[in-house]
This record gives sequence, C-alpha cells and structure tokens, in this order.
Amino acid sequence: MTSAKLVLDQITHKYGDGESSLTVLNKVSLQVEPGELVAIIGPSGSGKSTFLSIAGALLTPTQGKVYVDGIDLSGLGEQELTKLRLQQIGFIFQSANLIPYLRVQEQLMLVGKLAGMDNKDAAIRTQELLQRLGLSERSKYYPDKLSGGERQRVAIARAWMNDPAVMFADEPTASLDGSRGHDVVEMLATLVKKEGKAAVMVTHDERVLPLCDRVLNLENGVLTAG
Amino acid sequence: MYLALREMRFAKTRYALIMTMLLLVSFLVLFVTGLARGLAYANASSVENMQADYFMLQKGSDSRFSRSDLSENALQEAQQIVGQDKAASLNLQMTNVTAEGSDQKLDVTMFSVDKGSFLAPEKISGQAFADLKSGSVLVDQKLEDSGVKLGSQLRDTMTGTTWTVGGFVNNESYSHTPVIFMSPDGWKEWRQQFITSKNAGTLNHVNVVAIQGDKALVDQVKSKVQSVDVITKKAAISAIPGYKEEQGSLLMMISFLFVISGFVLAVFFYIITIQKTSQFGMLKAIGTPTKYLAGSVIGQVMFLTLSSLLLGILAVKGVGMLLPASMPFQLSGTTMFYTGALFVAMALLGSIISVLKVAKTDALDAIGRVAA
Repeated sequence: MTSAKLVLDQITHKYGDGESSLTVLNKVSLQVEPGELVAIIGPSGSGKSTFLSIAGALLTPTQGKVYVDGIDLSGLGEQELTKLRLQQIGFIFQSANLIPYLRVQEQLMLVGKLAGMDNKDAAIRTQELLQRLGLSERSKYYPDKLSGGERQRVAIARAWMNDPAVMFADEPTASLDGSRGHDVVEMLATLVKKEGKAAVMVTHDERVLPLCDRVLNLENGVLTAG
Repeated sequence: MYLALREMRFAKTRYALIMTMLLLVSFLVLFVTGLARGLAYANASSVENMQADYFMLQKGSDSRFSRSDLSENALQEAQQIVGQDKAASLNLQMTNVTAEGSDQKLDVTMFSVDKGSFLAPEKISGQAFADLKSGSVLVDQKLEDSGVKLGSQLRDTMTGTTWTVGGFVNNESYSHTPVIFMSPDGWKEWRQQFITSKNAGTLNHVNVVAIQGDKALVDQVKSKVQSVDVITKKAAISAIPGYKEEQGSLLMMISFLFVISGFVLAVFFYIITIQKTSQFGMLKAIGTPTKYLAGSVIGQVMFLTLSSLLLGILAVKGVGMLLPASMPFQLSGTTMFYTGALFVAMALLGSIISVLKVAKTDALDAIGRVAA
C-alpha cells in the first residue's frame, strides 16, 4: 500500500447496459499524495461530475477500485459509506453549499455534531477554523449576509471540520470573480499543504491552475496529464 | 433536532402561520368534540349515569325503551338468574307538565324506579328518593330554569294528575328532556288513568329491566327468559330518539377536521421539503444519515403539533369556562387525551410523504449542480 490518501485504480463507469451503454469513465487511475492539490479540467460532459461522485464515495463504479486513506470502498455498505463521507471526506460544492438557516458557526457545529464530536471540542475547533480562514467576525452571520467568497471559505472550513483525509471541490470558484476565486483556492492549497491532506478540485477556472500541484485533463472519459 | 429547531427559528413567520392554522384546527376539533360529548350527555345523561351494564327489553322493541313492555314474570325470572338486587325495573313515559301559576308546557320524561334499587337517583336538594311521600317526585335541576321550585305543583296535561316537587336531582336527561322520578306506587296510580278494561292486565308491566352483571349471566337471561332482548348500555343510549343522528353529524365534522389537519400538514411539509431538496442532497453528500434528516422533519411536525395542541387545549379550557351553564359542553381529561393523540397521529401520517421524499433524495444531486 502506498502512502497516497486517495487511490483510483482502473475505474470504468458505464451508464445503461448492453448495446446502448455509455462509457463515461474509461480505466481512469489516479493517486493523490498527502499535501497535494490536483486540479481536473475538461469540457462539459467529459465525465468530471461522475469522476468526482465516484472518488467521493457517492457512486459505485462499474469496474475498478477506490481507496480513501487506505480503505477499499467496494466492500462498504450504504451506511458505512455515509459515515466515511462524514469522517474521511470533505466536500466543497459549487452552490447550495451552506444551509440558509444556520449561522456560520452552526454550519460547522452541525458537522461536528453529526460525527459525534463533543460539544465543547466542536466549539473550539469551529472557532479555530473560522479564525484560520479569516471568518471570526462572521461567525454569527447567516449565509445570505455573506459575500460569495466568504461563503466558499465557510464551505472550506466546514469540509475541514472533521479533519478528513481527502477534500473534493466541485468548481468552487464558479460563482466568484477572479481575485476572490484566487483567494479561496489559495486558502484551500495552503491548508492542504500544512495539514498534509489530499485534495482534488474540478474546475473550469484557468486562473487558479497555477496554485495546483498537478493539472489533469479529463476528456472522453480518459484522464491525461494536462 | 439541531437542524429542526434552527430552521424554525430562522423562518419564524412561516412556521408561526402553520402553527396558527394547526392551533385553530385543534381548537375546533376539541371544541366540537366537547360539544358532541356535552350534547350526548344532555341527551342521555339519565341512562349514562345508571349503574347498569345491560338492559332487558321486549323482543321486537328495536332497542327503544318506550316500545318495550315486559310482564312481571320476566322481571322475576331475570332476578332469579342474576340476583334479586342485580335486576331492577324501570318504567318511563314522555309527557308534558305545567308548573302551577304558569301556562308554559314543559316536556318531561317520567321515570319510575324502585326505592331501594340501584336505579334510585341521588338527590342534590330536598328529600331523598327513599323518603319521598306519595304524590311527591324528584325532578331534574334543569326545570329550575323554568321556574320550578321545591314544593311546586306540577300538573300532567294528559291526565290532570298533580305531583309535588320533593327534591332535585342533577344530570338526569332523557332524549333532551328533564327526567322526573317517581315511585312505583305513584306510577301505578298515574298509569291507571291510561288503562282501559281491555288491557287491565298490563298495570304491573314494566318497560325495561336494568341488569348489573357480566356477559355470561346475560347470556343465561337471554336464553331462559322468553321473548326478550338484552342490549348493552351503549346500545340503549344510541337508541334514544335523536341520539344517533345528533352524534353522527358531529362525528362527521370531527372526522373531517382530523383529515383536514392531516392534509394541511402534509401539504405544508411537502412543499417545504421539495424546496429543500438540494439542501438535503448536499447534507447527504457530506455524510448526514437519512435517519437524521427524516428525524428532523418528524421533529418539526411533532413540535408544531404538540405546541399547537397545547395552546388549543388551553384555549378550549378557557372558552369552556366562559360558556354559559346551559350550553351543553363537556370535555373530560380522557376524551381530551384521546382526541389529542389522534390529532398527533394524523399529523405524523401527514408527514410520511415528506419523509419519503427526504429518503428518496439522492446525494448525487449535490455534484455538478449549477448555481441556483
């Protein structure tokens, strides 16, 4: 076993079956080492969402294996996968990221609570993360009072809450302007480096690519170095 | 409940509106139930309050006391089976009377029961039933509203017989009329005047026999005493003229209110749940178990239902105290408990469709979703 936090081994995924089946991913392999931020780019319909769903334990591939922090996902049931997503995986989505009726600090507390974290520990961790991401003063705000960049930073903090092994970001800069997008990804990259996590980001935004350690191109279901 | 409570805190207006609606419905459910119980009681309290389990009637009398006519033998046979003091005769006759010094006719039901039997009424003022002099009767307190006092003379408009009010009893109604209790001797004197020579033998007949006892004894009575029916107290009450019709329409209103409250909640939560589908998808993606989300929906339904129910109960209690005494309204703790439990059950039933929707929401929705 390698030290890689995330391993995708010969992943093939098809929709439908028989003659009409559509191969979305074709023998995709990837290893992400600790402290590495990998960007995946590619045109629409190239299979990026499917790739992220499989790597993020939301979808079981037709063939191939996924390992998150050394755990083989193929042997896990629905509930175990939910638990693994909670504890080992951090997600940052493009939108619908935050719960509108929770204050910033409660967004993080919820994730801690779900993972069974002690209330006091969760509160300390929340304050710590918010401070690191420069959100301390916003901790009592509702999401609709935050700017787009702040919202994505809260999402990063929340993804970080349970100290996951791997982070996935699905177009995190899509709703942000250039400089804000750059800031958000920079924060993500810094955290990944410092904590030795693995991160995979699907993006269209070429301006943030210099912040990534590797850029891969997904086209017609095949992953190539970009 | 972390999510459930915070969502209600955030969307106060929305939840306050639905709560107001539930409060009104629960109030109405409780109020109409109280009214139905009150009317039932006002209609049939005399039979309801009898310490009897079963009633023996003549076969073919269709559960109606007034249609039944039993011979003295039937009474004695029943007494032999269930015990001398466990079967008591009851005679009744609806009539109208006028109080002295008034032309107003009052509808009443005359009851005749044995002085020592378990059917003998408890007085609340005046003489006890056992000590009544001949020509004296106990009357229901409601007659006080028509100006009847202790010692008043009541004149039967059919026969001209007069009785003296010896005392009052409480909660004794039959088919919405106040009941007047008299002894069997007085009854016979009065009956004598209806009876022609052709049916002279019926003077000692009784209308019904009230029985205290269990089903086994009653089955014996049924098989041994000839041409009688034995019915439960409940059946006897529903057979009182007007009782079924009155209760039926009120029951229909109550059932509809229950169904409406279920639907109101179902629709409200379904719409809210649909609005939140993408949120639920995201929450599932980051590792929230479906159980937790379903619990959150049910938690909200329970919170809203229980708090509106509590307020509804308080409101009904308050209104109940303001109602005039003549208003038939009666809501016991037990009735309130069952009504409340049914209300909560309907609310839970209404939340099922939302819970199913939550369960069906796919975590995959969260990925690749374009900014909404």
